[in-house]
Amino acid sequence: MVGSQSEKVWNRVSRGIYLLILTAGALVMLVPFLWTLSTSLKSLGQALVYPPQWIPHPVVWQNFVKTWNIVPMGHWFLNSTLVSVSVVVGNVVLDSMAGYALARISFRGRSLVFFGIISMLMIPFQSIMLPVYIILRTLGLINSYAGLILPQLVSAMGVFLMRQAFLNVPGEVEESAIIDGASRWRIFWQISLPMVVPTVLTLALMMFMGSWNNFLLPLLVANNQTFWTLPLGVVMFQQQYYTNWPYLMAAAVMATVPVTILFLVLQKWFIQGISTTGLK
Amino acid sequence: MAALSLKKTVNSGGLKKWRRTETMTAYGFTLPTVILLLGFSLGPAAYAFFLSGVSWNLLNHMHWVGLHNYGVIFHMPLFWTSVKNSVIFAAVVMPVQTVIAMVFAVIMNQNLPARPLYRLAFFFPSISSSAVASVMFMWIFNKLGLLNSFLSVIHISGPNWIGNPHFALSAIMILNIWSTAGYFMVVFLAGLQAIPQNMYEAAAIDGASGFQRFLRITVPLLRPSTFFIVIMGMIGTLQMFDQSFIISGGTGGPLNSTLTVSLLIYQEIFSYGHVGYGAAATVFLFVLVLGLTLLINRWLGKPVEY
Repeated sequence: MVGSQSEKVWNRVSRGIYLLILTAGALVMLVPFLWTLSTSLKSLGQALVYPPQWIPHPVVWQNFVKTWNIVPMGHWFLNSTLVSVSVVVGNVVLDSMAGYALARISFRGRSLVFFGIISMLMIPFQSIMLPVYIILRTLGLINSYAGLILPQLVSAMGVFLMRQAFLNVPGEVEESAIIDGASRWRIFWQISLPMVVPTVLTLALMMFMGSWNNFLLPLLVANNQTFWTLPLGVVMFQQQYYTNWPYLMAAAVMATVPVTILFLVLQKWFIQGISTTGLK
Repeated sequence: MAALSLKKTVNSGGLKKWRRTETMTAYGFTLPTVILLLGFSLGPAAYAFFLSGVSWNLLNHMHWVGLHNYGVIFHMPLFWTSVKNSVIFAAVVMPVQTVIAMVFAVIMNQNLPARPLYRLAFFFPSISSSAVASVMFMWIFNKLGLLNSFLSVIHISGPNWIGNPHFALSAIMILNIWSTAGYFMVVFLAGLQAIPQNMYEAAAIDGASGFQRFLRITVPLLRPSTFFIVIMGMIGTLQMFDQSFIISGGTGGPLNSTLTVSLLIYQEIFSYGHVGYGAAATVFLFVLVLGLTLLINRWLGKPVEY
């Protein structure tokens, strides 16, 4: 069989080509990070050498210390952490509760609430920044943690995700609990929620990332340095020290490390999250 | 069984009471979410329509001017510049990132070694914030930066990407494609898992080439994922704000070449105090996005027929 022989060769060649393309693509994705890391460890003089050099010599760890000290990076870290953790807790509790009610309890007005939430899936934050800013201003929430947290505390996407998860929980367990006289709150908290932990984890991750990386909301809310979060701080730092690339890259590295660790540890849930929200 | 015993335990008066408790519980469960979403999502969207009809600079007395603001922005050359930039940006970035994501997803689906590692590399850019990614790319796009040094290897003298009005928007396009293509690739990968493998086997027996199988089976059957990605991509690119703001330092420059509609809205309120103009541009953006969404829905939204 000459045909199958040449087919095998062709198969091997095409797999080689595929691997080559994939490797090239992966390099394009990773080079900016590696370049950032490399620059963050260079002296300013070496960073500006052209053509660029990849290996820092000498390695200037001091860039990180100096960057941490000339701007209040530590404070921005705390702000980002405070806001992101609150947003995660809020979404996990509130989105789950709403998703549970929409999936499990039949009540008057359920479809109205459901379609209302669905319609909000299509409203991205950039397009409503002006009215949101005016509402926050009217409520006196400019330059406050509440202003940074409240607009992100629930998400239509999160409610939708949790509703889908609760729909897949078998109903028998709940029914027997109802007969035993358990309250809805107890059923939700002790029976149903533990059964959708993977989805909760996915939701928590998505919300953490979204909030940790959010730039526009802090830009609107935090005029005062005290309330800057990391992304806003890094950008403001860039506008001030725009020629000192090693410092800027050190700041970029520091701002990326927490999500990178989170991502590497919990990669599986990220992928699952995208697959479920992306496909539904 | 359970339903039967349920009826036995609660008599009809009890059932009514139970229903009422259920409804109250459901309202309790959904109320915080409904309030917050009304206050910070649906409410603001409706509020934008109202604000588009007022003259107000946040400090003076607001008064009603009807459709006047629309007349003003439609005669403003800068507004049309921003619309042009946003539309060009979306028209390039959305198709390019969709095609790149699809092609790499299909290649990655070929049972190649080290697949998780490749997936990790591709997905990695989408975990970085727009702020950090923009700052990183400003350094790469420097006149004497990494990108131009790569280009000089193939004897192209690269421009000052960010300072040149002909290249600044392209630089932001590259940055955007880099940061979202991997995310959408993972969505496509999930969609590929749903395509029955026997369709490929049948096509291979019929003598279809790899490329034919891609065009005739993969592309049509991936339509649900493509639909989602095209819609999300279109919304995301038409409203692009962060990267333009950061790279141009909030100006939309050089020469307004990176001024998007969202950035114009921001400037109208924070630089000029023209709340009404900004709100009119907001409503215009809504209508544009909604119109394009409906169009795409007609084109790609049909259910897949096997």
